[in-house]
Amino acid sequence: MATAIKKKKSLVKNLVRFSVNGTAVELEIGTLPHQVETAHTLAHTLRETLGLVGTKVTCDNGACGSCTVLMDGKAVLSCMTLTVECQGRSITTIEGLADPETGRLDPLQQSFIDHTAFQCGFCTPGMIMSAKALLADNPSPTEADVKEALSGNFCRCISHYQVLRAVMATAQGGE
Amino acid sequence: MKPFIHINALTVAEAVAALAAYDGRARLNAGGTDLMGLLKDEFLPEYPQAVINIKNVAGLDYIREEQGMLQIGALTRLSDIASSPLLRERYGALAEAAQAVASPQIRNVATLAGNLCQDVRCCYYRYPRHIGGPISCARKGNGPCLAVKGDNRNHAILEGRKCFAVCPSDTAVALALFDGQLLVAGSAGERRIAVRDFYTPLGNQLGKDELVREIELPAITASTRQTFHKFTLRKPIDFAVVSVATLITVVDGVCSDARIALGAVAPGVVRAAAAEEFLRGRTIDPASAARAGELALAGARPLSKNAYKIEIAKTLLKRALLGHPPAKPSQGIVHDKCPHVKTK
Amino acid sequence: MAEVYRFIGKPTRRKDAVEVVTGTTQYLDDIRFPDLLHGKVLRSPHPHAIIKKIDKSRAEQLPGVKAILTWQDVPDWKGGTPRVVRILDRKVRYVGDAVALVAATSAQIAKEALGLIDVEYELLPAVFDVEEVMKPGAPQLYDELPGNIVTPGTPAFGHSCLTEVVMGDVEQGFREAEVISEGTFGYENIPNPIPPEPPGAVAIWEEPNRVTLWVSNQASYLDKILLFHVFGKKVEVRTHGAACGGSFGTKLMSWQVQTYATLLSRATGRPVKIIFSKEEHIAAFVLRPGSRMQARVGMKKDGTVTAVSGTWLVDTGYYSATTQAQVAVGCGEIQLMTRCANWDLKTAIICTNRNASGSVRGFGGQELKCSFIPVLCLAMEKLDIDPVDFIKKNYVKPGDGYFWRDGLWYTYRGIDYSDAMDQGAMRFGWREKWQGWLKPSSVDGSKRRGVGVGVHGNADIGEDSSEAWVRLNPDGSALLYSCITEHGTGQRSNYVKMVAEVLQLPMERVTVTPADSLINPFEYGPFGSRGTYAIGSAAIAAAEDARRQLLELVAPRLDAKPEELETVDGVVFVRDSPERKIKWGAIGYDRTVMGYGRFDPDFTLANCMITFVEVEVDTETGKVDLLQVVNTTDVGQIIDPPGLEGQLNGCLGSSGIDSALFEETILDHSSGHILNANMIDYKWRTFSELPPIDNIVLETPVASHRFKAIGVGEVATSPGPMAVLMAVSNALGVWLHEYPVTPERVLKALGKLPAMTRTGGAQ
Ligand SMILES: Cc1cc2nc3c(=O)[nH]c(=O)nc-3n(C[C@H](O)[C@H](O)[C@H](O)COP(=O)(O)OP(=O)(O)OC[C@H]3O[C@@H](n4cnc5c(N)ncnc54)[C@H](O)[C@@H]3O)c2cc1C
Ligand code: SF4
Ligand code: FES
Ligand code: FES
Repeated sequence: MATAIKKKKSLVKNLVRFSVNGTAVELEIGTLPHQVETAHTLAHTLRETLGLVGTKVTCDNGACGSCTVLMDGKAVLSCMTLTVECQGRSITTIEGLADPETGRLDPLQQSFIDHTAFQCGFCTPGMIMSAKALLADNPSPTEADVKEALSGNFCRCISHYQVLRAVMATAQGGE
Repeated sequence: MKPFIHINALTVAEAVAALAAYDGRARLNAGGTDLMGLLKDEFLPEYPQAVINIKNVAGLDYIREEQGMLQIGALTRLSDIASSPLLRERYGALAEAAQAVASPQIRNVATLAGNLCQDVRCCYYRYPRHIGGPISCARKGNGPCLAVKGDNRNHAILEGRKCFAVCPSDTAVALALFDGQLLVAGSAGERRIAVRDFYTPLGNQLGKDELVREIELPAITASTRQTFHKFTLRKPIDFAVVSVATLITVVDGVCSDARIALGAVAPGVVRAAAAEEFLRGRTIDPASAARAGELALAGARPLSKNAYKIEIAKTLLKRALLGHPPAKPSQGIVHDKCPHVKTK
Repeated sequence: MAEVYRFIGKPTRRKDAVEVVTGTTQYLDDIRFPDLLHGKVLRSPHPHAIIKKIDKSRAEQLPGVKAILTWQDVPDWKGGTPRVVRILDRKVRYVGDAVALVAATSAQIAKEALGLIDVEYELLPAVFDVEEVMKPGAPQLYDELPGNIVTPGTPAFGHSCLTEVVMGDVEQGFREAEVISEGTFGYENIPNPIPPEPPGAVAIWEEPNRVTLWVSNQASYLDKILLFHVFGKKVEVRTHGAACGGSFGTKLMSWQVQTYATLLSRATGRPVKIIFSKEEHIAAFVLRPGSRMQARVGMKKDGTVTAVSGTWLVDTGYYSATTQAQVAVGCGEIQLMTRCANWDLKTAIICTNRNASGSVRGFGGQELKCSFIPVLCLAMEKLDIDPVDFIKKNYVKPGDGYFWRDGLWYTYRGIDYSDAMDQGAMRFGWREKWQGWLKPSSVDGSKRRGVGVGVHGNADIGEDSSEAWVRLNPDGSALLYSCITEHGTGQRSNYVKMVAEVLQLPMERVTVTPADSLINPFEYGPFGSRGTYAIGSAAIAAAEDARRQLLELVAPRLDAKPEELETVDGVVFVRDSPERKIKWGAIGYDRTVMGYGRFDPDFTLANCMITFVEVEVDTETGKVDLLQVVNTTDVGQIIDPPGLEGQLNGCLGSSGIDSALFEETILDHSSGHILNANMIDYKWRTFSELPPIDNIVLETPVASHRFKAIGVGEVATSPGPMAVLMAVSNALGVWLHEYPVTPERVLKALGKLPAMTRTGGAQ
């Protein structure tokens, strides 16, 4: 029985296709260095295979939100997602926020700068991605909405207060 | 993570076949938020040979009413359960329980069946391989339960035997309240298991080739009052220290139906039958609510460090019955009053 | 009133802001190295054991494995204070201790190889309690440390390093006392600051004896010096401090991971990277020291402390690196908050079979005070003294003296913080909320509120030396050479700001070198709260020196004396006739001007932080909620308001206030395992649980440097924990003396827990 399944599996082409920041990505599945292994997480693939190191890994175990990216517009944890299961998905990372043509920062990024909404900055990409998902869904959130949306994002430096201001300011159309 | 064979199942039958083929050495991957932890920390004696992705199994993501029964597909995400207007209105305790799980990012991918089938959180059991671990114990079939003499602050106060790890699932508590049933598919066909009976001292009732296909709940009469209270040291992320779900029907000031489910106090979900019985036909007031709490926890036999859970459970139940709102995280900051550095 | 500056005191954009928000900041793991190998550490399952046999043959056969090192393969390099900790030893001393190092072509292969190394251990008894471990017959961790007592004092602080506070006549002091309190209290939950970025290093070894390291660290230059000594002074070390994803003091101790990477690179001839997993970070990297203090305090009705005696036991885990320094600083700090003429305070640092303690924000003082203040509280209660009055009366005042870390006596010449204390008390509403000891400020059914206050201050704001260069370029820009990593405080930008202010250059035209020990002058590093005063002084002095040289150079061209000149925006002009001006370029395209600045230690200034908290305790569930926090301080002059706010808000996390509420490292006292080495079970504060914080910051000019500022960031975490304990005790009307105040402890204090519990297994 096991062999039957393996056979069936080998008929499937060993490729995974998805898009990252609007660019189509096609990766071979296998064990060679340039390939994606079945056990690779999306966080690993983004950082090590695609070189998109803006996505940060803090706990690598689902608890901290540092690795948050958008999958089809929703905030998800890239450290808890298998790359081989991203077939057909559309992924947005922190690198995908600024305007690719002009390089202009996303208003949320600008607001984080204006409010110094970070200290060590390691949690910041994840924070921004969670906030981005919220604002896409709910352009004028209350402060409680923002806290709820960011409640899975760890920040040890306690930049929360300044982050809240930065997100609220963006939601209100910037200051 | 160590390598594994990855299988994409597109139907329930394919998933069942793959499970059967690997004879206990494959794991289903639904949302993956629990499975990844298992794969990363390698805390089990055996690493799975294969991971069967069931995300793409069609037709398992729904919330619908059929002949008075509420049916929820196994792959329905917790975020959808938490925000479903139907559930919010009629099965509020379930929506609240789903909302109480983990964090927004996890709820966006975590599934209901995954939540029910997740492994226990006992700190000995989950001790990661790569810092000198893993630790063997009774649940792993090797040695005594370490929690009994060790740190058991999060362990069972009721019904523990051999293993004192508690059922970590929040949604199970609400589902047991509604007398929910799991529709389980396996090589030998389908069967039903009541959520109340699903958890066993060392695991759950699923056979090696079985998976949960659907969760079914009987109809709920409109005028019930439902609550879900979850006690944690902080919100969110945390697993329950104790949770309590209640469903109360009051007619003319008298309780005609009472259902009480306790979570994180036992290896499974506990329905407090004696307390339910006691409340039927009574008015709910501080005295009867407190009495119900006593009855619900009457059988508690705490370990060395978890007696505090008894007090918490009693209190949560009493408050739930009296209609106190669940405790919200302590917070008071208002945007324009955010702290600024103030100078003289 | 503070002076008005062009940049100082204004919110300015952090130099690295765009990189941070676009994800382009290069933290260690983001830097790419060609031909890189990945290192992993095999860790001990036992808290105390001798390695009888290691067989690495199976692991060596795994394709991709390039080196496996065990204690038999490594040089006799040693770290710790005293230097007794081998990089890999024949003995393991805690669950998680390094047994072997593996380098392989991928992290996964390295990890797999760990599982193929066969180790045979001879188990030894282990001890986890500071008092048990000192008993005769207790297991010995090191031959060099009889009785498991670590040699007191650190050579870094000189031969008279402070190890105790002994002065006056305590017997006389106790006779004068109107009340004597005593007790043994602890702060033993060994919380972990857990910065998000785990510790790690990349090493490139070059034969015969040179290593270059990239490190997630807090003090790059110090690493270089430390490692040089660890490597037996035989290896030339160069360190690059990458952007650091948080440290909170802990990454002063990343020497071990650096030595691992170095040894593996030396063995393979290739660059090797080791980054700890979060589990390793929590279970096998720095914790706060455990602190237990038996103390006796004599006090008078007016709050005068007449005598302090006692013993402070510090549990440093399986070895000590900075603990002696923490004890020295702690002994200094206790004097800052307790004006008292008669002292007999002894200390001992003790090794136990758990993960090591090390440097953490609050550096000794937080640990000591968390154990000491409960004893003071007992005396205050008997005498009905308001703790705010006590703190005001007893915090160091100009003219007071203290023994500081080098064992020498210093006279304080800083500001009086009474005003800041008053302002804070007012903002908090202390006078209205304080009802007396063990009295709640309000009761609403099962919810009881209570208030508490804590204080902390440190004379290390001027500790250690710093050097800097400032180079002026003919294009009107300046470069600051300072070996500073950015670990979240924003200080790299603040030094730029100081230099920009001195030179009157737009901040965009001032940059700072990377924290590379090869190109920069000596720098101790931004810790304690020394950044603003100590490092700032060096940067300012270097900028002033460069400016002076520049003006001297161009004076002849303007036909003026250097003293008559000013420079703004890269143009030099005559102060009284600004039309006589010349661009910096006038020095010639083939010339730069280099200024040098140095700061030498000054222990005569101290900062001060007071934290007020209000808590609400649910007496039915035992849950404690933090309702309000007011921090109050005086910094002389704010350099960067948002940066300072961030530091002060940081009071909650990184094992600060929350170490009294829910943060703790759970150690199994029979097996030695850390049971919550993950970020679900180790609790940290979330967005959903933010109390209102008010930060009251006064600006009374301090005689520090040109900008009259001192630093305060480090100490923000320190007063909070003791304030929480006080507040909860007041809310409940019974003393709680253990950290953190879990529901179990609260319910127990209220007598609500049944005495009988089940102890057996299956029944
Ligand atoms: C940081 C963090 C916090 C958490 N907090 C909570 C919490 O507060 N409350 C709580 O209840 N849980 C919590 N969890 C646990 C868990 O992730 C979630 O409960 C989640 O719902 C699991 O669903 P999933 O779809 O991701 O499961 P998966 O990880 O996909 O699966 C979990 C297990 O169930 C099996 N499984 C999955 N689907 C099926 C099926 N249809 N039939 C049979 N077996 C199946 C899998 O093989 C696996 O063994 C937390 C997890 C993390 C990482
Ligand atoms: S409670 Fe269960 S899982 Fe935990 S140590 Fe005991 S037997 Fe093992
Ligand atoms: S790194 Fe993914 S959640 Fe922590
Ligand atoms: S800014 Fe350092 S963790 Fe958030």
